[in-house]
Amino acid sequence: MSNFSSLHLALSSLNAQRRGLDVTGQNIANANTEGYSRQRVSMTSDAGPIVPAIHSRWRGTGQGVKADTVARLRDQFLESRANQEHGANAAARTLQGTLGRIELTFAEPSELGIGAQLADFWAGWDDLSNKPDDSAARSQLLERAKTLAASFKQADDTMAGLRTNIIDQMGVVIINVNSSAARIAELNQSIQVATNAGLTPNDLMDQRDVLINQVADQVGVTTRQGPGGTVDVFVNGTALVRGSSFEKLRVSISATPPLPVSVVWDRDGYPAGPGGEVSGMMTSVNDVIVRYRTDLTAVAQKVHDDVNALHSTGYALDGVTTGTNFFTMGIGGLEVSPAVLANANLIAASSLPAPAVLDGANAQALADLTSPDILYRKLIVGLGVEAQTANRRVEIQGAITEQIDIAREAEAGVNLDEEMVNMLSYQHAYAASARLMTAVDEMLSTLIGGTGLVGR
Amino acid sequence: MASAFRVTQRTMSTGALNNLQQNLSRMQTMQEHLSSGKAIGKPSDSPTGTVAALRYRSDIRRSGQYVRNAQDGLGWLGTADTALTKVSEVTRRVRDLLMSSVNGAIGPGERDAIAAEVDVLRQELISLANTTYQGRPVFAGKVSGTQAYDAAGNYLGSPSPSPVERAVAPGMKVQVNMTGEQIFGPNATDLFKVVAKIANDLRTNPGDLAVTDLTNLDAASTQILNSVAGIGARYLQVETMRARMDDAILEHTNGLAEVESIDLPKAITELQMQEMAYKAALSATSRTLQPSLMDFMR
Repeated sequence: MSNFSSLHLALSSLNAQRRGLDVTGQNIANANTEGYSRQRVSMTSDAGPIVPAIHSRWRGTGQGVKADTVARLRDQFLESRANQEHGANAAARTLQGTLGRIELTFAEPSELGIGAQLADFWAGWDDLSNKPDDSAARSQLLERAKTLAASFKQADDTMAGLRTNIIDQMGVVIINVNSSAARIAELNQSIQVATNAGLTPNDLMDQRDVLINQVADQVGVTTRQGPGGTVDVFVNGTALVRGSSFEKLRVSISATPPLPVSVVWDRDGYPAGPGGEVSGMMTSVNDVIVRYRTDLTAVAQKVHDDVNALHSTGYALDGVTTGTNFFTMGIGGLEVSPAVLANANLIAASSLPAPAVLDGANAQALADLTSPDILYRKLIVGLGVEAQTANRRVEIQGAITEQIDIAREAEAGVNLDEEMVNMLSYQHAYAASARLMTAVDEMLSTLIGGTGLVGR
Repeated sequence: MASAFRVTQRTMSTGALNNLQQNLSRMQTMQEHLSSGKAIGKPSDSPTGTVAALRYRSDIRRSGQYVRNAQDGLGWLGTADTALTKVSEVTRRVRDLLMSSVNGAIGPGERDAIAAEVDVLRQELISLANTTYQGRPVFAGKVSGTQAYDAAGNYLGSPSPSPVERAVAPGMKVQVNMTGEQIFGPNATDLFKVVAKIANDLRTNPGDLAVTDLTNLDAASTQILNSVAGIGARYLQVETMRARMDDAILEHTNGLAEVESIDLPKAITELQMQEMAYKAALSATSRTLQPSLMDFMR
């Protein structure tokens, strides 16, 4: 223990407190930074040598303080929980969005939906039954039939458009995921280099974790700690990022109807089975939209079948022509038969041949049809229940995700009061260390300048 | 949030923001309900309510159509009733003339004059039998054309029964016509033939007038009266159904309003409560987010 070692001790303290203040400053500066994890200087007392030697003796007082590592306070368990819950949340939200848009497509209950138009169409047959020879009643019925067919077509087109939109959006998300994966791999590399050099690249880690959170939202990932502070990222068990290398994903659309869409690994075309937003999109495209389009087509088909079955048994206004179909069901969906459109007198209102041409019994029978309405109502109640379930799931998943976020923020977030207290303690410790230095300095000056002057 | 958590400024502000968001979104929902006047905007608001609304809506339209059908039917029956009432009057006039002609004090010259009047009355009867409703002869059944009887009194309509029916209630159809044959008798022996024979007998064969012709005429006029009674009964039936359908529309409209529309006082009260909660949340947030240790340090 030399005379000057006390000065060094004070100096180590001054340095450590300064470092502490720096870190506090950094914490305060990033109090509102997304994904920032609070940091803390881990100080250890600098004890003497563990193995005393002749020239390195230790008197048991220690040599000051060491402040070499800055710890990043983040709970890895909470992080992976958060990734999982955020992925599930994004999937639920996407599905909810799709169902919401399908609900808008049907616009029920209202005076404008297909339900109301079906009722108008049947009422048109009633009017025709009352006045079988009235050309106004015939053209009114044709107009209503055309409107009904157009509504079916429009709803189907809207859903087809929704499908295209979602697939486009999916492509953008996957491009985004690929670039995030590349950036995570890059950051992993930098982190590993820095760690190997004995540094603590906390800010790089924060950046990487923000990216991982984003990717978790998009495709749902799990993570595993790798060597040298790196993190490996997995999509459904297959590595998206491993250390400093990464894989790419791409969207693949099958050529066989109903043209299912999947996300595959670019390398081998093997399905990736992603979670998160993309899984919600895949469910929307491959299941929800396909299902509602099929159901709607079934309603149109029912209208087509039931109307034609009755219509073809009736007689046109001439009392001779029979066996005419009212609707056609082609590639463009339900349409009024062109022959009937061209000649409204072909509408078979009569159930008897000539001369009873003013019999409206067939039109009345058509007006009494209800089975397409029942099928349509079934579709709407199914949609309502499914959308409601999706809304509830989003609410529940949202609450869970929020809890996890709060827990994560509680672990990693900056508390300004705490930083204030830290600031005070570092400041006081700094002042005290400076005072120690002054004391040692005075002792030394007494020793150097004040001794050997006896009797002067 | 469990108290074991470490609390930071961001957890507080995030939590506060989330809660404010939830408050606002609830207010938005209420505002939507209030401004649209509807409690169900889309199927997921209430799937069962949506289906009920769809049903009510289609029932309202259907009932409205039944009312329209009934009105059309009433037109048919009313027209037929008016025409047949006049036919009865004319027939009674023919009978009066017949009765006066069998009176012994009448000579051949006067009988000729009576015969001329009977001819005119017969033309009137034929024209009444051709009465139309909206361009369609009501006694012609289901055939097209503007006449049920030609000028000679031959039936041109479709054979009996040829019912023209109107759906006036679910599963209920009422016949709103009668064919000429049903009312005036079969073509060979119908009212017009009877009256023609009377005119003929007045001129050439007065012996038949007192018994045969009178019996035939009375038989025809009884059948007409029966027809009038039948038509009157059906008129009443259709009228009743129309009133019932009007009630049904009202009932369904009420049902629809109950399912679909908001309860205004309740909604406004809820909105006010929500507003209060929102304001309270805002003021609490502004108080809790403001202070930090800094405020209390030199």
